[in-house]
Amino acid sequence: MRTRLPLAWLALYRRRRMLAVLAVGLFAFELLIVVVATTVPTESIFGPRQDLPVPDAFQAFSGSSGEVTLASYAGLLGAGLVHPFWIAMHLTAVGSLAAAAVAADVEQGTIELIVVRPVSRLRLLAERAGALVAACVLLHLAATLAVFLGVLAVPRLHQAVRLTGVVAAGVLGIGFSLCVAGPVLAVSAAGRRRGQVIGAGIAIGAVGFAVNFLALAWSAVDFLRFLSPFHYYVPADALVRGTVPWASLAVLLAVGAAGTVAAGRLLVHRDLAP
Amino acid sequence: MTAQPAIELEALSKRYGPTVGIEDLDLEVRQGEVFGFLGPNGSGKTTTIRCLVGLLTPTAGRVRVLGLDPLADHRDLAPRIGYLPGELRLYGELTGAQHLRLLGDLQGAPTPRRDELCRRLDLSARDLDRPVAGWSRGMKQKLGLVQALQHDPEVAILDEPTEGLDPLVQETFFALLDEAKDAGRTVFLSSHVLAEVQRTCGRVAIVRSGRLATVQAVEELRDARARRVRLTFAHGVDRDRVPVAAHWSPAWSERTLRLLVEGAEVVPALRRLLELPVTDLAVEEAGLDEAFLAFYRQAEAEAGTVGGRSA
Repeated sequence: MRTRLPLAWLALYRRRRMLAVLAVGLFAFELLIVVVATTVPTESIFGPRQDLPVPDAFQAFSGSSGEVTLASYAGLLGAGLVHPFWIAMHLTAVGSLAAAAVAADVEQGTIELIVVRPVSRLRLLAERAGALVAACVLLHLAATLAVFLGVLAVPRLHQAVRLTGVVAAGVLGIGFSLCVAGPVLAVSAAGRRRGQVIGAGIAIGAVGFAVNFLALAWSAVDFLRFLSPFHYYVPADALVRGTVPWASLAVLLAVGAAGTVAAGRLLVHRDLAP
Repeated sequence: MTAQPAIELEALSKRYGPTVGIEDLDLEVRQGEVFGFLGPNGSGKTTTIRCLVGLLTPTAGRVRVLGLDPLADHRDLAPRIGYLPGELRLYGELTGAQHLRLLGDLQGAPTPRRDELCRRLDLSARDLDRPVAGWSRGMKQKLGLVQALQHDPEVAILDEPTEGLDPLVQETFFALLDEAKDAGRTVFLSSHVLAEVQRTCGRVAIVRSGRLATVQAVEELRDARARRVRLTFAHGVDRDRVPVAAHWSPAWSERTLRLLVEGAEVVPALRRLLELPVTDLAVEEAGLDEAFLAFYRQAEAEAGTVGGRSA
């Protein structure tokens, strides 16, 4: 164990079992979604009148901005990528790794051993943020690989969904995780308890989903959807288009970057004692 | 030309909201000195130390270690200091060896003393290959000492270093301090165990309730310290007629009276006491513990917060 990035290594090493379980879980879950989708015959996918509009609120469950209906293969696969189970697993990883950035070490008292070394606080944050990005990429790779293999293996799905779209959805998923991770990192940089950080991650995910659903269901608060990461994380659209919606990805990454910058500012100016 | 002090604190204050951690602390530690920092729990020792190593930002005042600001010059200063936290916390799932490598990597400097320190502190290779979650407190403390000293720092800042160490390992630790002093290293050692400070330090600062009470050479403190006086009176002596002051902490046991009398008062006190029929007398130098307590007692009396202690 001699590494150039000891702080990133430490964060990942200590959570290696959790990450392995989450990666396997996500792979299995997405594979299950693929299997379930293939059980729906093409001719009967939610009945003969597919031209009838599905209520807007259901877009929240299909991961689309409106161009993909839940009553389609892309919609079903997209639903697997915004499913509460998928969200919970990603938020678990983001919350845990973000907490590991600063707050967990402050809570445990191990921060004293680290920051008295010639390690700048920004390096601490950068390495821990790097570990968080690596964990997010790993989990999205697992989920994307399951969908990719399913689409590749089942002709009906392949006709409805592009393989490049699967990759694009995975890239957008990474953007979603980083969007949540940035503000949660800021909470970690200012906080003293792991629970605060994990709670912040869950709150952002849950409130974001609820706000998007509410905005789609109730036109009077339609404008609120722009505040939710789920408005920009539209995997079903990416599956159909075959390309990354760059503008949405840019918004997600910008929020993540802003949160990370805020985390740096907070960390530099705070007391770091248990 | 005067050598630059190893540690300089000027009017250092640290407050946590309304709570005072340390207030207006002035202190200077010379290079090559083993300096004791004494005080009871909650007196501000750990707060001061955390300001020294850059964990806390002072509310007011100035901190310099080897002429550098622990916060602004952190990257230049940190390689030159070794630090043992007062409440050492480790990563339970890592082994001792993994800890030393990790912290050595973060130190970014060679660790020439690692093997020697592990051997002298009796940390075997077998111990080091076990996760520290299963270690005793003493073993963890030994690991803490190794990580603090393995890179042979110019200034070692050790917060309660002997906590949890067995007497044999404490002896080794005291030998390490002597060697550090001989090698011109500076050691800043906080403790509430006065005997270890008496044994290892040249000068001592005493803090109380966040304020510096005194800085003295251990020898000066020793000279000023109280004496333990034990008198046995003949049968029939009326206790109420024995001229004792309450602040001498009189304690009766049948006909025997024990007192703790401050240095300057010993001779006049004995003159008066020996006017009574005394069958036995013993006068001993009080240890630093009693000197320390006497010092607090005096400070409290001056502050008018408490009266003399009763037997």
